[in-house]
Amino acid sequence: MTQQTPHQITRILFQDFPHWMVAVFYGVAIVAIAVFLWGVFIQLRKYAKGKRDKNLWAVARHCIGDTIATVLSHRAIRRRDQAAGGVHAIIFYGFALLFIGTATVTLQYDILGPFGINFWYGTFYLIFKLVLNIAGLGLILGLVYMMVRRGWIKPPKLNYARPDRSRADPDYNRDFYRIEDWAFLWTLILIGITGFVLSGARLVWLQAEPSVWDYRWWSPAGAAVAVALKILGISAADAAKLRLGLWWFHGLLALTFIALIPYTKAKHIFTAIGAWLVRDPEAVRRLPVGDLDQAKIGYTEIGDFGRHYLLQADACTKCGRCHEACPANATGYPLSPRDLILTVREHANQQLTPSFLGLGHAAPISILGDGNVQIRSETLWACRQCGACTEICPVAVEHVPIINLLRRSLVEAGDMDPMLQKTLDAVNKTGNSFNESRRKRPRWAKDIGFEIKDARKEPVDILWFLGDFASFDPRSQKVSRTFARILHEAEIDFGILYEAETTAGNDIRRVGEEGLFQTLAEGNVATLAECDFKRIVTTDPHSYNTLKNEYPAFGGNYRIDHASALLKELIDTGAISLSKKLDYKVTYHDPCHLGRFNKGYDPPRAAIAGTGVDFVELPRSRDNSFCCGGGGGRVWVPDPPGVTKPGENRVREAGTIAGLDMLVVNCPKCMTMLEDAVKTAGFEGKFQVKELIELVAEAMDMDGKMAAPAAAELVQ
Amino acid sequence: MAGILIIAEHRQGQFRPVTLEAVAAAEKLQASSGESIAVAVIAPQPAVFVPWVSVSAVDEVVTVTTPNAEFDPDVTGTAVKALIAARKPSVVLMPHSVDSFGVAPAIAAELGVGFATDVFDLRYDGGELVATRAAYKEKVFVEIDFPGKETVLLTIRSNAFKPAGGTGQPAVTEISVPGIEPRTEHLGWQEPPASGGIDIPGAEFIMSVGRGVGDEANIEQFVELAEALGATLGCSRPIADNGWLPKARQVGQSGKLAANCKLYIAMGISGAVQHQWGMKHVENIIAVNKDADASIFTVAKYGVVGDMFEIAEELKAQAGGN
Amino acid sequence: MKILVPVKRTASLDDEFEMRDDGRDVDADFCEYDINEFDEFSVEEAIKIKEAAGEGTVEVVVMTVGPEDADEVLRKCLAKGADRGIRVWDDALEGSDQMAIARIIAKVVEREQPELVLTGAQSSDHGFAQTGIALAGILGWPHGAVVSFLEYTPGAPSLAFRRELEGGLEQKASIPMPAVLTIQLGINRPRYASLRGIRQANSKPVDELSHTDLGLTDDQVGEAGSLSRIRRMYVPERGRSEMIQGTPAQQASRILQIIKDVRG
Repeated sequence: MTQQTPHQITRILFQDFPHWMVAVFYGVAIVAIAVFLWGVFIQLRKYAKGKRDKNLWAVARHCIGDTIATVLSHRAIRRRDQAAGGVHAIIFYGFALLFIGTATVTLQYDILGPFGINFWYGTFYLIFKLVLNIAGLGLILGLVYMMVRRGWIKPPKLNYARPDRSRADPDYNRDFYRIEDWAFLWTLILIGITGFVLSGARLVWLQAEPSVWDYRWWSPAGAAVAVALKILGISAADAAKLRLGLWWFHGLLALTFIALIPYTKAKHIFTAIGAWLVRDPEAVRRLPVGDLDQAKIGYTEIGDFGRHYLLQADACTKCGRCHEACPANATGYPLSPRDLILTVREHANQQLTPSFLGLGHAAPISILGDGNVQIRSETLWACRQCGACTEICPVAVEHVPIINLLRRSLVEAGDMDPMLQKTLDAVNKTGNSFNESRRKRPRWAKDIGFEIKDARKEPVDILWFLGDFASFDPRSQKVSRTFARILHEAEIDFGILYEAETTAGNDIRRVGEEGLFQTLAEGNVATLAECDFKRIVTTDPHSYNTLKNEYPAFGGNYRIDHASALLKELIDTGAISLSKKLDYKVTYHDPCHLGRFNKGYDPPRAAIAGTGVDFVELPRSRDNSFCCGGGGGRVWVPDPPGVTKPGENRVREAGTIAGLDMLVVNCPKCMTMLEDAVKTAGFEGKFQVKELIELVAEAMDMDGKMAAPAAAELVQ
Repeated sequence: MAGILIIAEHRQGQFRPVTLEAVAAAEKLQASSGESIAVAVIAPQPAVFVPWVSVSAVDEVVTVTTPNAEFDPDVTGTAVKALIAARKPSVVLMPHSVDSFGVAPAIAAELGVGFATDVFDLRYDGGELVATRAAYKEKVFVEIDFPGKETVLLTIRSNAFKPAGGTGQPAVTEISVPGIEPRTEHLGWQEPPASGGIDIPGAEFIMSVGRGVGDEANIEQFVELAEALGATLGCSRPIADNGWLPKARQVGQSGKLAANCKLYIAMGISGAVQHQWGMKHVENIIAVNKDADASIFTVAKYGVVGDMFEIAEELKAQAGGN
Repeated sequence: MKILVPVKRTASLDDEFEMRDDGRDVDADFCEYDINEFDEFSVEEAIKIKEAAGEGTVEVVVMTVGPEDADEVLRKCLAKGADRGIRVWDDALEGSDQMAIARIIAKVVEREQPELVLTGAQSSDHGFAQTGIALAGILGWPHGAVVSFLEYTPGAPSLAFRRELEGGLEQKASIPMPAVLTIQLGINRPRYASLRGIRQANSKPVDELSHTDLGLTDDQVGEAGSLSRIRRMYVPERGRSEMIQGTPAQQASRILQIIKDVRG
């Protein structure tokens, strides 16, 4: 064995290549990069055709830290699917290292080399080889897992069958995407495998050179292939030929892959990161303010979309997490957030990218309609605006505002359920969705035995904003009376707005009636401006959300708490004492607007814990809570016969808990929907739907004070 | 001259008995004013209808021969104006029907006579004619008078007066009215859509649903309930207008009369007067409504203030168990 | 061509209400106001004719007689697609009955010269079913009441329609133009007027006129110009149903008992 100088331990690029072959390679590489750049240009130009409705650079600057952390930690991809997320991390890091490796070679050979600066040799070179070998192996194994997942495990969320199209529809399965998925996996895995075989062939070819052969185990995978080739009896000369052929195959495949990145799902490497950079963390709970003076208030054409939404549509990798989480999809409604986003993408590609080398565009069509790359109104109306999709999307797609902005156009055109139209008319006329006279709003408080302060006339510590259901719905009125008694018992200085309250408009906005929402918001802000209070408390998570997150845009900045937070506070401070330990087995349904929207997960659980009950979590809880079906204005639109209501799906989930006594809710709309679902799904008599407030009241043992009014109710 | 003049109504060659309810209203006035009662028959062959209006209260039948058979507001209008000019009656009564909707206001406007519609009670108060009608979805009654008017034209709500009966021998006077010029071209009739075996007039037990049902999706529940109870399913106008149930199931003025009904259950029906027209005569009416002040409770024998869906579920559950 | 659509701002009552001091109407504090339900259909029918005729062919003018509050119903109609509005009011108009209102509308017709006037068949508050046909009488125009179907091409010398009669029977008829029709519920599906549309309708013109602007004298409007006068309004004593009490289950079982008793 002769001693090698470190400079000899390296890989000679284009070893033994004739000049013309090197020239051809560079030619092909330049073409590939040109195709790549053209693709990038086309995509960027497509995004630029969207509306500039916010300063994306400013958003990106703000989000950069979070984006880097999210990408590096893979925390978003690992949520609710550790296996796929973890494997994706391996592929990601493998790919990234291989890319950095290739870039390093380029740096050495094409940039620093000509100036006589060399570093790619010796120990550095050997470690480099080892690292890239491990990365390559990881990449291949990761890709194999993904193939097994797609081919054998087949999780339902990866099924591309569309709930918004019939089986007979040619676009029912989106077959193109399935072909693309497999082509993507095979291309990458072939690049990886040929890389290792190439490496092995080179070792066999150069086996006589100690500077190569003696260090072969620094590339363990390549060396293993070399051993196998030798066992198969491949000579050095044969290996030289094999190496040359594989070199070109591997090289051309890799260049083709690079060239096609902007045109295929591979672009998610860039678009997903881009989508995280321009992400709005408040997208679900604070919808975009519509300008009522503009000619248009909602989206009808792809050019109306914000640029960030077009980018998001390209970020989608069809991972199916939204598809899986969506309550409409889960119960057979013609909506999958995934398919809606893909339709936006396809529509944008058809409308906003040149049909051939920049010449000519498709004639503009509406994105709303029954056609191939259009979104149907029934699809948009199936949405509950519960935010489950946007919450779980690993690439920061904001389905909720997109659906809302499309719905604004449907509302403008009157394309909605007649019941919903009546409700909107009623809200406009009476300020409430029950079409009751304004005078009736405080009537729930008539017989509670004490006078509730009029917050319009005297200062109060707590201004209780009730919302429509708590004021008018008979079941929720009971809860309101109970809450009033708790506050009274705790000697809280509180008041209500009496007739002056109008619906806060959270759901009106989520329906897409932006003008009516703004009118309501302006009205309530003006009313509240006349009142003297320290903070607002509401029993209604919907009102809570909009007052807290959306009213500031209309000049209403308040300190506001949900009733559950106040209850916890009263328990903690000892203002109320839960003297009676309750012996029930209960579970808790997180209202979307309190939990997912505003992260109010813990106060209600703390209050439940205080009552001494046996508490069991629902399988889907906290951020993964499953909407009762009443969000997004759907509480006003009855579910058609024949479909399972989301609420039924939810109470069945609760029904899986053995020995359950109560499903505790914390929202008047959830109360309405789930109490109804308990009846229709056949759980009546098995467990009850109870408000957290009622549970707390029971534990307070206010017997003496509550018995009389409770009896009065029965007589009514 | 004075007197009470009633304009008889007919359609498709048939006398419309609502005319006799107007005669009964006239009788009530006659009791205090003592005026004579005349009925005008305006038709191509008025003699056909004379026997129909020859009830005991009628003193005279006035006939006007017209060129066209079917209702034309200009023909009826010209004839009635001529009769009022000739007879100067103190009160002219017409049934409050779709045809009188189409002509009475025009007559009143042209002649400047006192005018009120949909009147269900009338009387003299110190020589002053007072007509009573309802407003605000039947929640209030309104008394109307006609200061300084020598002639007052009123349209009389159907089912408010029991049709006048008995046989009389009124004098028949033929009056010729010149210048009758029809402007409406009658193009034919459109019969209500085939009932498809739905027989509201013949049914003895009807359960009807109204606006309270809320949505088309909820109809099915009541179809099933009606079947379970053995009732014929009926509905109020908005349900038929929305196409949620066929028109043949609509009970009310523009729908069907529950002519043979013995038991009527009204679910989520507030009880608009047009609906009441079709069912309020039924002896046993059960009304279920969430609004305790709904006017349906003024005609129902039994009332339930509550949620129609809850009641329906209970009914189905309990009826199914029997 | 031009279509005039007179609309009314009607009141609906709360469950509990009080009478005005003069006892001739309900205290306005207890009323919720909105456009007359029937007028939603006449406005929709006019806009449908306009839309079918294409841009710039048909002008839809909505009008109302009432104080400033009535502007809100005009705005709603303008938001739906009517082109401009006219509101007639001054203090002398207080106390006008339907006939006086018809006289005012007739003057607006003289001024605007529409070929077609569409009104609601009746109003959902007082339900006189009078204004439209009284207007036709004053104008001497051909008319049709309680129209459930309308076929009209702008420019045609006549229009064909169906009138909905008792028992679901319909009369098919045709009348020459110009004409007045009163529109029945259910003839179409009225569109939604979004709040944004209503706000933007603020930029559409609404003319405000007084009775003198229209050439009417004081004795032609108000109580003097009316053919009837409301003496008093009252809440009637009525028979009440026997109320079935209890839980829904108890109520249902009582209903089943009644069914059994009646049906044998």
